[in-house]
Amino acid sequence: MRQQILKQLDLVRASLPPLRGLLPLVLLLIVWQLIQSGPSPYFPAPSQWWTAARSLYARDHLVAAFGDTTWTFLQGLALAIIIGAALGILIGVSTFAARALAPLLEFMRAIPPPVTVPVASLLIGYNASMKLTVVVLAGLWPILLNAAAAVRQIDPLLLDVARAFRLTPMERLRRIVIPSVIPSLLTGIRVAIPLAIVITLLVEMLTSLPGIGALMIRSQRNFQSSEVYALLVLVGLFGFVVNDVFAIVEGVIMRRWPPRA
Amino acid sequence: MTVACDARQGAPIPDLVFSCRDVSVALPHKDGPRRVLEGISLDLFRGEVLTIVGPSGTGKTTLIRLLAGLTRSTRGTVTVNDRPIDGPPDGVVIVFQDYSHALLQWRTVARNVALGLEGRLPRGEIHERVGEALRLVRLSAHADDHPWQLSGGMQQRLQIARALAVRPAVLLMDEPFGALDAMTKAALQDELLRVREQTKSSVVFVTHDIEEAVYLGDRVAVITGTPGRIGQIVDVDLPKPRDQIVTRQLPRFLELRYRLHHAIGQTEHA
Amino acid sequence: MPERRGNRTRINWPGLATIALVLALWEIALRAGLAQYQNLPTPSAIARGLAEIAGSGQLYEDAAHTLWSVLVGWAAAVAAGVVLGLLLGASPTLRRYSLASIEVLRPMPGIAFVPVGLLLFGFSLQMELMVIILPALWPVLVNTMDAVTGVHARLFEVGQTFRLSRAETLRKIILPAALPGVLVGARLSMTLALVLAVVAEMVGNPSGLGYAVVREQQAMRPELVFAYVAVIGALGMILNAALTGAVAFVFPTISGRLREVA
Repeated sequence: MRQQILKQLDLVRASLPPLRGLLPLVLLLIVWQLIQSGPSPYFPAPSQWWTAARSLYARDHLVAAFGDTTWTFLQGLALAIIIGAALGILIGVSTFAARALAPLLEFMRAIPPPVTVPVASLLIGYNASMKLTVVVLAGLWPILLNAAAAVRQIDPLLLDVARAFRLTPMERLRRIVIPSVIPSLLTGIRVAIPLAIVITLLVEMLTSLPGIGALMIRSQRNFQSSEVYALLVLVGLFGFVVNDVFAIVEGVIMRRWPPRA
Repeated sequence: MTVACDARQGAPIPDLVFSCRDVSVALPHKDGPRRVLEGISLDLFRGEVLTIVGPSGTGKTTLIRLLAGLTRSTRGTVTVNDRPIDGPPDGVVIVFQDYSHALLQWRTVARNVALGLEGRLPRGEIHERVGEALRLVRLSAHADDHPWQLSGGMQQRLQIARALAVRPAVLLMDEPFGALDAMTKAALQDELLRVREQTKSSVVFVTHDIEEAVYLGDRVAVITGTPGRIGQIVDVDLPKPRDQIVTRQLPRFLELRYRLHHAIGQTEHA
Repeated sequence: MPERRGNRTRINWPGLATIALVLALWEIALRAGLAQYQNLPTPSAIARGLAEIAGSGQLYEDAAHTLWSVLVGWAAAVAAGVVLGLLLGASPTLRRYSLASIEVLRPMPGIAFVPVGLLLFGFSLQMELMVIILPALWPVLVNTMDAVTGVHARLFEVGQTFRLSRAETLRKIILPAALPGVLVGARLSMTLALVLAVVAEMVGNPSGLGYAVVREQQAMRPELVFAYVAVIGALGMILNAALTGAVAFVFPTISGRLREVA
């Protein structure tokens, strides 16, 4: 297993765009620092961001908030995967269920995840379970819909093979259905991840439940612009790292599949 | 082995359209540049059909792309009418094997044919030339269709019509019928010969099909080996007009076919 | 929801029945006291609420604001994204010196720009537009860039063999070939723009549908909250349909081709 992870890391590194591509960002930061080397209500210098970040860290706010956000995100994602995959497969298996639930699912999908936050606040209140519910709902749809579509698109030939080998429904599920669904599932998860991050932050911003989002709003209200930018960078890094980690995980899981066209 | 091309040495030079002298081409490769063609010397005369035949991997496509000005030679010169070429030469148009990628799928058949003429001729004349080209390849009825609505053979005819519309002195064809079924291929071979009779363009035709090379060509150049070299150039003295049944059964046809087969096989084992 | 088989429309009876059933059960369960949910309104209450805000004109005021921001923000994002995407697609050098930056910036959640927007512009339309435009231009940029780099090499060579000038090649070959990809990016951007507008309105700019949802939630009018949510969902579907329709109208051949290929 360790070998495979190392191999995936190598593959990812090989497929990375050339590092000189970071030039625009680096230049931006340098120019910004030169033009505005001190604090400012609107465009504080990058060096100020670093100072603010250290200050937040020293006051223990940063670690706690980061932990809250990450924990909610991971929990929400995990639940979304489990529920989404299970429901998706169930829906996909039954053509009737698929047709019956299609308009409902389409409608749910059309609702932008952010608006579920006030609705959930109404129904559940301002607490951690509301936060989790909303994150799960946000990540659920892409996973569910992808799983359902994948089940429906299983090559009928494979189902014939199952019949020819007289597999029980349980065996068929384990050996044919689930492996066929995994690639689409992973794509769905890849779409769900940014949604889950956004909703986690949104809930924190709207309700001031603990997390990076709440911290950002608080800093903004206190006109601590350097803190806001520092947290912006942190959020960006978080998104970037999560996406990359997932890419590696996806690569390891998909190693047995033929490469995609 | 460098072989100067032709039995018509001493023929008046104005008839010479294309000329390659000891041309080599090396293409970039992940382990460094790779020699694809070596010491190619070849001439194309006005009004003739020169077919280039050889197995895959010998650089046939590279050679015709060289003539089309899409690839540069690493050594040696390619001249058109005694002038060395630099990029796609005037009066030379290439027809590709993968017609679906070479056609503008979003344009109608007629507008595809007009591509090379737009902005260069007045509107009325463009319209005339397009009509003429479509008549030549017998696609007039489909002028308002889109390429993706046509069959493979028809799309290839469209590509040929597009090339003919600009009235090129030289038509380069890179295995144009390779992706088509045998019957369509035979029909298009005859159509090409018929069209050429009318337009009098010179044609360079690349193929891996020995019979096709003999059937279509006035001369056949054999290219073999890696890197590819010109082995033999054979005159095809078969009667015209060629016929799919009659010509292919002539003893001379079989003789030429055997000779070329041998030439290719021989150099392979050399 | 009607399904299309060929050119005939087949009504999805099980689907409609399910929706009707769900709505009926919802209504009955609450009325009969079978389910106790203080803030959960019945479908009939939602319908009444919808009529109320439509009648008072509040709905149109809110919807108009959101619609306007979405369209303006989306148009700006598409314009910027297409131009940048074309530049990056056409120049391998530019790509080499910027792809890594794009990869780093792309996963940035759009919502993280809200506090920055508030900082710079306060509670205003500019803040909302900034929150919409910056994230919404990425799908357009990336899809346009991919579309241009994805133009088959053969098409470039066709331009060369007919000795088209660079301008002609761009106009006659590259742009039309890249168009389907650009349109996909524009579609994605539209969906994103709506979400971002709503978010900005919820947290920042006190106007529009997003703000309305929060406003009614704080005013303890759950039936209006649900009504506005339904309106937002409907708006999303309408915008999507309108965009698809507009594309089909302006570029009938592409739509034909896409339908053929799909």
